Amino acid sequence: MSEALGTEFVGRKGAYFWLSLKTGLLTILTLGFYRFWMKTRLRRYMWSAIRPGGHPMEYLGTPLEKLLGFLVAVVFLAFYIGIVNLILMFASFSLFAGNGAAYALSFIGILPIIFFAQYRARRYILARTRWRGIRFGLEPGAWGYAWRAALHWLATIATAGLLLPRQVFYLEKYRADRTFFGDKRLHQGGTWTMLYPPMKHLLIAVGLTVGTVLAGAYGDESTLFILPVALFWLMFGAIHFRVQSLRLLTSHKTLGGIALKAEPKTGRVMKIYSVGYALVYTVVGALFFGLFIVIFAAVMSVIGGAAQMGAEFDVEMFQALSNVPFWITTALTIMLYFTIFLMWNVLSQVFVGLPLAAHYAQSLSVQNPGALTDIRQRPRDEFAEAEGFAEALDVGAAI
Amino acid sequence: MTLRDEVWSTPAPPVFGDLMDGERALPLRVAVTLTATELVIAPGDGEALHWPLGKLRRLLDQAHPTDLVLAQAGDPVTRLVLRDKGFARQIEGAAPALAKRPPVQNAGKLLGWSVAAVASVALIIFVLVPVMANQLATFLPPSGEKALGDTTFEQIRTALDNTGLDPVPMCESPDGLAALAKMEARLTETVDLPYPLTVRVLDHEMINAFALPGGYVVLFDGLLDMAEDPDEIAAVFAHEVGHVVARDPSRMALRSAGSIGVLGLLFGDFAGGAVVLFLAERLIQASYSQEAEMNADIFASETLEAAGVSPLGLARMFERFEQLNGDQPSLLDHFMAHPDLVSRIERAEASGSEAEYTPSLTDAEWQALKTICD
Repeated sequence: MSEALGTEFVGRKGAYFWLSLKTGLLTILTLGFYRFWMKTRLRRYMWSAIRPGGHPMEYLGTPLEKLLGFLVAVVFLAFYIGIVNLILMFASFSLFAGNGAAYALSFIGILPIIFFAQYRARRYILARTRWRGIRFGLEPGAWGYAWRAALHWLATIATAGLLLPRQVFYLEKYRADRTFFGDKRLHQGGTWTMLYPPMKHLLIAVGLTVGTVLAGAYGDESTLFILPVALFWLMFGAIHFRVQSLRLLTSHKTLGGIALKAEPKTGRVMKIYSVGYALVYTVVGALFFGLFIVIFAAVMSVIGGAAQMGAEFDVEMFQALSNVPFWITTALTIMLYFTIFLMWNVLSQVFVGLPLAAHYAQSLSVQNPGALTDIRQRPRDEFAEAEGFAEALDVGAAI
Repeated sequence: MTLRDEVWSTPAPPVFGDLMDGERALPLRVAVTLTATELVIAPGDGEALHWPLGKLRRLLDQAHPTDLVLAQAGDPVTRLVLRDKGFARQIEGAAPALAKRPPVQNAGKLLGWSVAAVASVALIIFVLVPVMANQLATFLPPSGEKALGDTTFEQIRTALDNTGLDPVPMCESPDGLAALAKMEARLTETVDLPYPLTVRVLDHEMINAFALPGGYVVLFDGLLDMAEDPDEIAAVFAHEVGHVVARDPSRMALRSAGSIGVLGLLFGDFAGGAVVLFLAERLIQASYSQEAEMNADIFASETLEAAGVSPLGLARMFERFEQLNGDQPSLLDHFMAHPDLVSRIERAEASGSEAEYTPSLTDAEWQALKTICD
């Protein structure tokens, strides 16, 4: 069995729609409390849909350990966020006479914790993922990751994005080189400069956008028609970089004698995004319009009732409207808001999230799978805090 | 007859499945047979596994519509994948507790941390943040408070506008402003203000008034329309000056900064966040300000008295607010951040005995103020 193992994807839009609708609704009804269950169930589905070599991945995280981790994180972070925000706001108004500085400082102050949380979340997810019965794992190292990430970001910003490939490569290498499958360590090969070719479109588009805007600012408006093209190119460039850097990074990963190969296509991803979001917008738009009509009709029937009682049309009409109890209009508005919010989330999961996962999964293969015979189980990583910090800071938002 | 014999005597042929033993990354091809009491899983070589039917569990929320992935209760790693649809149905029929959840672990720990989390959030929102905000507010330099007020005032003007085009206009008829200036001068004569007031009238039908950091006192045109004599406006004015002197608005702003972040932490992003956060925060602030409202009322009646204006204006204003809101649910009271109007009326009435008072404005000035927005 030295042939490559391809990856199947068996997720279905219908089943995934009902699962995310059901869990999303419960999350709203419980004021967000159910989200730990929602996340767990959606991950179980998604993991089991991905089948390298025909064998399903398994997600073993539990809702209660997520809840516990969240509670632990809240105990620590509440102090930090409450007090630090207050002091920053005070300092900002004392020293800078404005709140912009406070928001900026507050964000910068929370950044290292966000990086920290991202690493911990990855550790939790890998520790709760199995394939062929063998656990994945990530070595501890969240603070090391946090300061490296902060420095890489500084370097990238200082060089106006030119060092982005370096940042992406080394941060991924830091994580990958600490990742295990069973008792074998993953290795990130390749060099950071290999990520420059995927950046080509992004650089061209940035140049084009900046050039057009500058020309416009100096009075030459004849080139402004290029701007939409430049902005579209910018979006394409960003997606191209994401997809192709992922392809290169994955294809340079090895584990013992095993190698990974990823072949995602930028065009395919672009198509999933554009078709997917077009569908989401259409359906949510139609839903909003439909609900609006229903509510409007209800309001009109109230007004009609007042008019039939021989009321002066213009004045009494508004009185009839203002007689609709406060709580009814409030409840209708809140329901409308939550319906739209829920459907937006569910449909973008179904029409964008699922097809993307399918494409990335199907373009992944395991080379030289014969070497899998050498792999043995690794002990369970208890890690009771789970992804609590990421959950509390809302940075592990993607399922 | 041993179990093994019983298996072999079962007429149904074995079905093949993949067993992950949880030790090596190699699925084993196994022959699986269902008996009356157990599932027998036989690898090509080695011991067969016997899983009692009562201990069979299936993995939940699986994507594949027909595959059945089985585990044995109490065994966290071993998995059996069955791809035979008919056989999966048979097992579903025979195993009584396929979907049973594992017992809750760490229940005590979970409870302990829940208590700790609730306690720490309560401590922060209801004790630490208010105390710190109260202390820090007195250290804010006036220029900082003014900046905070300027920003908030513009935000409110924009937020109140229904058309979404321009901020709500300010009312500035010269006679009206002169009348307002006279009222301000008369009321603040005896008051030690931390900074000069900035008094504004907004052209909006809302019946309300509020104070903002840095000495802002903002009246709505709706309030001017509803008031029947200038002393009622003077009463509201004095109440808001009370907030300014106590620096309540700055405290509120600092409190929000502290508590909104913590609330964001709790709710996560379950509904776009912002709306829910805003409402929750509003409820907390309303309950915070009970004491501040009471103090502002006491301040107002003393100030009116000192300026020779009848404090009964305060009582009449409260009655009017009560008539307006009387039939509304109590929810609305919370959102208006004005506590318990009835007890306030009683206090105001007890404090006033129509003696040597003069109206806060002349009739002509009162008319000018009422028409400040025209």
